[in-house]
Amino acid sequence: MPEAARPLCLDIKGLTKRFGGFYALNGLDMAVATNHIHALIGPNGAGKTTFFNLITGVLPADDGTITFEDRTLDDARPSRRTLRGIARTFQNIRLFPHLTVLETVMIGEHCRAYPSVWRALGAAVLRRPFAQVGAERRMRDNAMELLGFLGLAGQHDEKASNLPYGDQRKLEMARALATQPRLLLLDEPAAGLNPHETEELDAVITRIRDRGVTIVLVEHDMNLVMGISDRVTVLNFGTRIADGTPAQIQADPAVIEAYLGEDAAP
Amino acid sequence: MLHALFDGYTRSILVFTGVNIIAAYSFYAPFKTGQVSLGQAGFMAVGAYASAIMTQKFGVPFALAFPFGGLVAGIIGVLVGFPALRIKGIYLLLLTLAFAEIVQVVALSWDFAGGAQGFRQIPFNPSILEYVVGAIVVLILFFARLERSSLGRAMDAIHQDETAAEVMGVDVVRIKLLAFGLGAVIAGLAGALYAHHATYVDSSTFNIMVAVEILMFVVVGGSSTYWGPLLGAGFLTLLPEFLRTLRDWLELVPVAWTNFFPMNRVYDFLHDALDFENAKRLIVYGIIIIVMMILRPDGLLTRDALRRWRWTARHA
Repeated sequence: MPEAARPLCLDIKGLTKRFGGFYALNGLDMAVATNHIHALIGPNGAGKTTFFNLITGVLPADDGTITFEDRTLDDARPSRRTLRGIARTFQNIRLFPHLTVLETVMIGEHCRAYPSVWRALGAAVLRRPFAQVGAERRMRDNAMELLGFLGLAGQHDEKASNLPYGDQRKLEMARALATQPRLLLLDEPAAGLNPHETEELDAVITRIRDRGVTIVLVEHDMNLVMGISDRVTVLNFGTRIADGTPAQIQADPAVIEAYLGEDAAP
Repeated sequence: MLHALFDGYTRSILVFTGVNIIAAYSFYAPFKTGQVSLGQAGFMAVGAYASAIMTQKFGVPFALAFPFGGLVAGIIGVLVGFPALRIKGIYLLLLTLAFAEIVQVVALSWDFAGGAQGFRQIPFNPSILEYVVGAIVVLILFFARLERSSLGRAMDAIHQDETAAEVMGVDVVRIKLLAFGLGAVIAGLAGALYAHHATYVDSSTFNIMVAVEILMFVVVGGSSTYWGPLLGAGFLTLLPEFLRTLRDWLELVPVAWTNFFPMNRVYDFLHDALDFENAKRLIVYGIIIIVMMILRPDGLLTRDALRRWRWTARHA
């Protein structure tokens, strides 16, 4: 498909977030094409995690609009945005320490299985036992399928906090995918992984995209970013300094300056 | 039916133990989503007064006044729950505490309900023990099903990481409100049961110490499984009774032995200290809390322990 014909998954205009007098994001424009892997890179403190917090509604934006699939995301709560099809992982892993791996993934499925609290309460106490078992089994089967997809099969009874670090990152992805997103935000998924695990991650991200999910990737591992991204946006001090294909970005003097300092720019 | 099985004293002990167990579940419900409430005694007071007004002033049968007490407490619970959603930790503690104080002041100054003289001559209900046992059975069945349901899992997730749960699509606001309202309903029911057994309540009946004791029941029993509140409330309420019985048995020990080792005096001391009419029990509570926080911070009974036992039982 030619680039121009792809519909936009995420269209961001003038996105701004201030913390006191500090601009974490300052008038950011960004367009993410549907079913692309779109990387967002930049030095530490460039505003990447703030960007995720604004998209998912964890923090309110001070200015600007976020359009997701032709609909503006107003000030809806994070859970509403998840129902609309946006999911994320966290840079500092945030699993539920006392839940098992399987239960953790089933938390992601909860909002699809029971969009209303009353239905959830009814299912918990009022409905016939067998109907409840059926719904639970469907959730369980879906969760097991996702765990298999991410290479965590066989660990479903383990406590989430007991998994090795790399597997915890995968579990975060499984939990996010369980919400059936059309847009997945990955916050430094390769942080703390060894080279072998990073290679695996590369394949996993590509396979998630092949399931029809658009991916926005914040990452410091440039091999990973340049290898799998369709498009890259570079942030520095809350503003966009470059936007283009990986090859264009690697040749951009502004990017080299931001990363390596003024003297290194050709 | 149960009435005939026990003498008056035993029956009274059982009713108060049961009321404490129900009150412990009223704390457990909001706590399942991470909300620590010191207002459960206040909701008990609301349920006690609401049901007593129905039975004593309007002659409504207890069978109707009992759920009415829970309903009124639940409505007020949801109203208190809305501001409670926005705040966490120590601030929620203070908000619920302030609510309980407001309830006490209203009870003290509301002359229609007895005011400072207290609400007297609440009709005694002879089958209160059946109501208590029935309510506990329903609560255990409810929380057992909740624990195995998707909603119960979502509540656990909210308790462990509220932001992560919200971002994963869990409707944190509604679920927390539901849990808080549910806790208020349960506390209201406990209050209604108490009022129609004791036949008298006043503004200080459900004071801050009652709220602290309710918290103690759940902390000691364990809050990660629905058996915890039952165990904690049962254990702490019946402990003085056990000690009393033990002491009675020790009377049978030959005098020569007790001179050698005065066990009965040790039990006398413990019994005095734990007596529910005696302020010294608070010292013992304090010691229990400190020891528990060091040895078993998750309570006597935890879900992991239950899982291990079940696993062992299956594979033995």
